[in-house]
Amino acid sequence: MTRWLQRLTRRIRALVHGAALDQELSEEIQLHVRLETEDLIRTQGLDPAEARRQALLAFGGVERYREAQHDARGVRWIEDSLRDLGLAVRVLLRSPGYTVPAVLVLGLGIGATTAVFSGVDTVLGRLPYPKDEQLVRIYEQNSPTNRWTLSVADFQAIAGGAHTLSAVGAARFRRVPVSAGGEPQSIQAGVVTSGFARVLGVQPAFGRRLEPADDALGAPLVVVVSDAFARRVLGGAASALGQSIMIDGRAHTVVGVWPRGLDRLSGIRADVWPALQFTPPTRRGPFGLFVIGRLADGVTLDAGRRELADVSQRLLTQWTSDFQDRNARLTPYSLRQVILGDGARTMGVFVAAVLLVLLIAVANVASLTLVRATGRWRELSLRAALGATRVRLVRLVMIESITLAAAGAAVGLGLGAAGLRLLIAIGPFVPRLDGARLDARAVAFAILVSLVAGIVVGAYPLLLLLRHDPGASLSGGARTVGEGPRSHALRGAFVIGEFALALPLLAVTGLLLNSFLRLQRVPPGFDGERVTTVNVSLPAGRYPDDSALANFWNRLLPTIEQSGNVAAIGLGDALPPIAQQTFNQNNFDLVDHPVGEGASQPVSDWITVTRGYFATLKIPLLDGRLFTPGDTGNAPPVVLVSRTWASHYFPGEQAIGRQLIEGGCNECPRTTIVGVVGDVRYDGLHAPGEAMYAPMEEGNWGRNVHLFVRGQGPGNDALATVRAAVLAADPGVSLDRVQTMADVVGESITAPRHLVTLLAGFAVAAVALAAIGIFGLLSYTVAARHREIGVRMALGADQRAVVRMIVGGGLWYAGIGAAVGLIIALVGTRLLAETLFGVSPTDPATFVAVTLAMLGVALIACWLPARRAAATDPVRALRSDN
Amino acid sequence: MAERADLLQGTLDLLILKTLMLEPLHGWGISKRLRQLSAEVLAVGQGSLYPALYRLEDKGWISAHWGTSPEGRRAKFYTLTRDGRKQFTAERSEWRLFSTAVELVLKAV
Repeated sequence: MTRWLQRLTRRIRALVHGAALDQELSEEIQLHVRLETEDLIRTQGLDPAEARRQALLAFGGVERYREAQHDARGVRWIEDSLRDLGLAVRVLLRSPGYTVPAVLVLGLGIGATTAVFSGVDTVLGRLPYPKDEQLVRIYEQNSPTNRWTLSVADFQAIAGGAHTLSAVGAARFRRVPVSAGGEPQSIQAGVVTSGFARVLGVQPAFGRRLEPADDALGAPLVVVVSDAFARRVLGGAASALGQSIMIDGRAHTVVGVWPRGLDRLSGIRADVWPALQFTPPTRRGPFGLFVIGRLADGVTLDAGRRELADVSQRLLTQWTSDFQDRNARLTPYSLRQVILGDGARTMGVFVAAVLLVLLIAVANVASLTLVRATGRWRELSLRAALGATRVRLVRLVMIESITLAAAGAAVGLGLGAAGLRLLIAIGPFVPRLDGARLDARAVAFAILVSLVAGIVVGAYPLLLLLRHDPGASLSGGARTVGEGPRSHALRGAFVIGEFALALPLLAVTGLLLNSFLRLQRVPPGFDGERVTTVNVSLPAGRYPDDSALANFWNRLLPTIEQSGNVAAIGLGDALPPIAQQTFNQNNFDLVDHPVGEGASQPVSDWITVTRGYFATLKIPLLDGRLFTPGDTGNAPPVVLVSRTWASHYFPGEQAIGRQLIEGGCNECPRTTIVGVVGDVRYDGLHAPGEAMYAPMEEGNWGRNVHLFVRGQGPGNDALATVRAAVLAADPGVSLDRVQTMADVVGESITAPRHLVTLLAGFAVAAVALAAIGIFGLLSYTVAARHREIGVRMALGADQRAVVRMIVGGGLWYAGIGAAVGLIIALVGTRLLAETLFGVSPTDPATFVAVTLAMLGVALIACWLPARRAAATDPVRALRSDN
Repeated sequence: MAERADLLQGTLDLLILKTLMLEPLHGWGISKRLRQLSAEVLAVGQGSLYPALYRLEDKGWISAHWGTSPEGRRAKFYTLTRDGRKQFTAERSEWRLFSTAVELVLKAV
């Protein structure tokens, strides 16, 4: 073993210090010859010149021994390869016109692919928790498309009765006012049971995590905070322990700090993680708990699902007074899938796009290499004539391709790092994408891609070498090899392929752009002009119940309304039209159209608002009446419904005056529909505007609400008035996230805008590469047919005929490519159906526009070489020897 | 000049090891010593000498270092290692067995 190691080090030394060893060897040989010479002079009396001649003769060819010595060092093939590498680098540097574009194009393709790979690797990869395949999120579900959160009763039934789960945890995520002595700030909190961190298997860096004792009602309030929060607010992670902070108006003791970088649990970000203490439930509802669990070792998801279905049955018999939906089952889903959401589809679009770009890039470089290979045939023939074996030439050509690809990989890694940052910056709409890094796996991936690219790019010259004997063709018109119709057809095929791949990418971009523009034009259902919104949080400690909240708002709202620069003010618990925000939904049963015993009740967005809300956002009243001051306290409950809601549940009928049972509460008084208002898109501009409104004044005051204020004139002073009034009433209230409604609408379409922008980047790159491909092909053709064009012109062809001929030839390739691309696109864009809004995946207008655009680009790319051809001077062309 | 015999394949290593038994030598010294010891009969084709030295060094039977020759020149000296001594003993007995066998065959009538 040590012997083997010694040898290895000697080999490496031989490789690294080859020059030094050569130096030693020649010194040794010189000494030998000199000593032999002196010996001959001394013993045989020869004159020095003759002695030296004989000594050299006796030694034999010095060069040969050097070579033999090299062989003995056992590193000959590596040395040769290194020599070839040096040669390859020199050859490539000698033709920058080929090398620079080839490396850049390859680098672009490899870089984009690597960036997307890193993103996909992170997004689809394992969650940062031990044995993440055991983690599940549990939903209530009554149909394949309708699932929602759990109630306290649900959670306690699972915690006490599910043996397939080794641990369960519950959380409520919301923004709460938090203060550590200073001004209260509205901060995202994850109020969690002790099981939450135990399920995930995460440990704090300092202190302890929550323990079961902390869950008990009345136990001292404790909190674990994020490292960032501890640094920002509590003066460092270590010193945070033991400090007391006010969360929602109640003092909590900091008992733990999460490790740095751990700012979210189960995919949801929060700065403070206070203990969640349940009051014993008096009924099955309400829902709203985010529940996760860990399957016990060896338990499958199916086994867990079966057991949870049994628990669901028991719950139905345990809580008979309300919520008797027999279809509703507690259903576990893989947490990884839940967090990923539809991120997989977005990443799929990226992957498809980037692979197309990579393929086009490789085709482009391969086409360039092909042109170059034919030109280099003469050089290779010369090398063969000088004694290089074919094996040696193959190695040379391969090393050249690999060198090119390696340079491409180096450029690609640089571009990939930048591209990944761009990918992350351009959209947090894919979960966990922000954690992506260009790591060792990404580097390995880039190297793999570049290797494959190098092989593809170098395949044609290699084929040429294998088919033809370079040694035989030096004498006889070497240039003809690789210039035949076959290689021309191959180059044409590359161009066709590039167009066939670029068109689908452009089509997808076109469809998404079309979809985005339509989305942008969707009326949100309100008039956001001069309306500003702000998030208001009242601490629960100071406002423990509804009457305290009512007291605060009933005093404040009239004051603000009477000030000069405020036209209208309203409160609501939803912020239209931000998709995937958490607002209430509620189930209901129509008295006139009941769903029947044990069946699933319909569910609707359930927005709680003040009377001024509709005037502030100018949501039109279409029928009946709005809320009145009489709809408060113990008055019979009333709701408003949106127009789409009314036509959905009462098609062709009068909705006003109808009654319903809300929230499955059979004993509660019936709720009456008193008005129909215009549709507002709450869950994103793409979603239908089906909603029900409950009055906030009716004992529904929110502690954390969106305040909307419409100014009298332009400018932001209405908000200043609000802020002053609120802080004058209570400086402990936090106001944050001030936005104009125009900004809110803009933010709601951030994700599709970023998707379109990113894809447009890919599409532009693809189309540009295709254009460069056809331009290169035609430029080469024009140069090669210089003489022929001269002959044609000499025989009377005018410039227009020449341009027609060249452009026609180019467009033929582009046309075939576009036709193939159309077929690919028509099949491929179907996968986008769910992502598109208001546009069919085979939208004819988009497809026609995209095809015309591709052909237009091709026309321009063909035009330039055609102009050059038309400028041919027939006399000069005929005189030249090519 | 005396007649010179070509070296039998494989014996060169043995002879080199033998010349180094007494003292470290440089390349030319080895070839000179070989010629002297064999009464000018055995001549190492110098072309094989240096690759052989390298090979032996590679196998760890001899080691090389730079020093000053008796003639006062910088030269690379080769020294027998412990492994080399063992190898020499082994190869010598092998050679003896072989040459005795050849001799027996040749003596037979």
